[in-house]
Amino acid sequence: MVYSDRLRDIYGGDFVTTAIKIRDINKTYGELQALDDVNLDIKKGEFFGLLGPNGAGKSTLIGILGGLVKKDSGNVTVLGKDIIKNYRETKKSLGIVPQEITFDPYFTVRETLEIHSGYFGIKDNDQKIDELLNALSLSDKAEIGPRQLSGGMKRRLLIAKALVHDPEIIVLDEPTAGVDVELRNSLWEYVINLNNQGKTIILTTHYLEEAEALCDRIAIMNKGKIVKVDTKENLINSIDKKLIKIQFADSVQGLEDELQEINFDLNKDKREIEIETAKQDLDKILKKINRLNLDIVDMNIESAKLEDVFIKLTSLGGDDN
Amino acid sequence: MTINSITFLSLVRREVARFTKVAIQTIFAPLISTGLYLIIFSYSFQNREVAGYGVPYISFIVPGLIMMSLIQNSFANTSSSLIGAKYNGIIIDFLLAPFSYIELSLGFMIGGMVRGLLVATVTYLVSIYFYGGAIAHPFLALFFAILVSSIFSLFGIIAGLWAEKFDHVSIFSNFFITPLTFLSGVFYSVKGLPGIWSEVSLFNPVFYMVDAVRFAFIGQSDMSPYFSALVIFSLAVFLLVIVTYLFKIGYKVKS
Repeated sequence: MVYSDRLRDIYGGDFVTTAIKIRDINKTYGELQALDDVNLDIKKGEFFGLLGPNGAGKSTLIGILGGLVKKDSGNVTVLGKDIIKNYRETKKSLGIVPQEITFDPYFTVRETLEIHSGYFGIKDNDQKIDELLNALSLSDKAEIGPRQLSGGMKRRLLIAKALVHDPEIIVLDEPTAGVDVELRNSLWEYVINLNNQGKTIILTTHYLEEAEALCDRIAIMNKGKIVKVDTKENLINSIDKKLIKIQFADSVQGLEDELQEINFDLNKDKREIEIETAKQDLDKILKKINRLNLDIVDMNIESAKLEDVFIKLTSLGGDDN
Repeated sequence: MTINSITFLSLVRREVARFTKVAIQTIFAPLISTGLYLIIFSYSFQNREVAGYGVPYISFIVPGLIMMSLIQNSFANTSSSLIGAKYNGIIIDFLLAPFSYIELSLGFMIGGMVRGLLVATVTYLVSIYFYGGAIAHPFLALFFAILVSSIFSLFGIIAGLWAEKFDHVSIFSNFFITPLTFLSGVFYSVKGLPGIWSEVSLFNPVFYMVDAVRFAFIGQSDMSPYFSALVIFSLAVFLLVIVTYLFKIGYKVKS
């Protein structure tokens, strides 16, 4: 029995565990270093977040993955296949939702999806097309041209196009920009369901709360570099911050004296206080407040958010990896 | 060099459906302009014969006019499809999908050929009223028409890839395609041109196309039809290689 066959036995016929492997990718546009020695592994079945400010290089990286952008150096594999040597296979494994809204004005929504199915070698794809139209609330728009669709609908059509060939890896580049909240939720439900079926999801978004709620692991990019890759929990725990919010029954006196060395905000009627502190000072602060013997109506302690991690890593310009 | 039939045929289907959805603009408008040429020339030169050919003038120019329709429409289809795709942003659909480079070349090319051949066929049907419709070598006429439409479809792809806006396509059309077509002997025999102009015409590739099709229609031509066939076939293969290479390097479509 050959080695690969043994691996197949062990891993149930599918021994490639890395969905995307990016090695030493560089890309320049004139003087601008858009990607600077980027290395990244995305595992199969992950819900992966690729975050960064505008111009960080996220879309360039996605463009290289999909064959829209030519890399200067390095290599990328998709499910173990090189994106240049085996580009036809890797493209079939990828479903990319681009950031820019594009549409073919000559064809209705359904025709667009039929043609797109054909591009990926799929004939008679009505069942999948209907499933997508339904999931993305486009069923009643199936027979109209894309010019008559709203911005949010056009974006949903882009998503349907990317999913019509049932790809193993789905790349969503700002998929919810301009999509209203209700449809955004139904879109995420559908994407989570795909992830639960084993599809790998790669998400870039400016809505950090979406990334925080959805992603297992996150890479933060800045100025063409990956400045941090870790699980969401580790990233958030890397920020030593707690926010204590306390609501008192009456206006409080003497807090300023007791909390002299602590950074806090007291509201105008002196009934609510917000204290930002490091984890190790939490106990000390709570004991100090307790000593004042105040009537507390409500109290909330919040941990750091992904946004804090994002701001820290990107405003510093990427201090660690 | 591999071709997936479903993938490839989907592109052809898209290209054909694109122009048939706007048939008034893509099929009937060119037909009207060619029809006007037929009316004007058939009545203006009713009793005139072309020197050295011994056929009525209308019989002489019909193959040229059919060629002109074929050339202009094949070129217009691929060039407008690609510049439109760039303008609408859907050019990325062709880049993200698993097309081989030869599939892209042939898919767009065949779309242009279908339009060119369709308009040329309708032009021929209309011309039957004016000259009777006789074709000396019908299969040869079809063979040359297919080759010529492929050449100008491929030219259209190059123009569409090169162009950054719609104006650029009209530069190609107005400064290359139209002059080369009008100076190719559509309306006259180049043998009758004065002095050096007869020789200069031999450097115009469109001359060989018009001349070859004229041979297929009336059995007479300025050049040997075999030599013309060689020139046309070589040009078609050369352009197919160029276009496939341009798709491979992502000329003006990949950043």
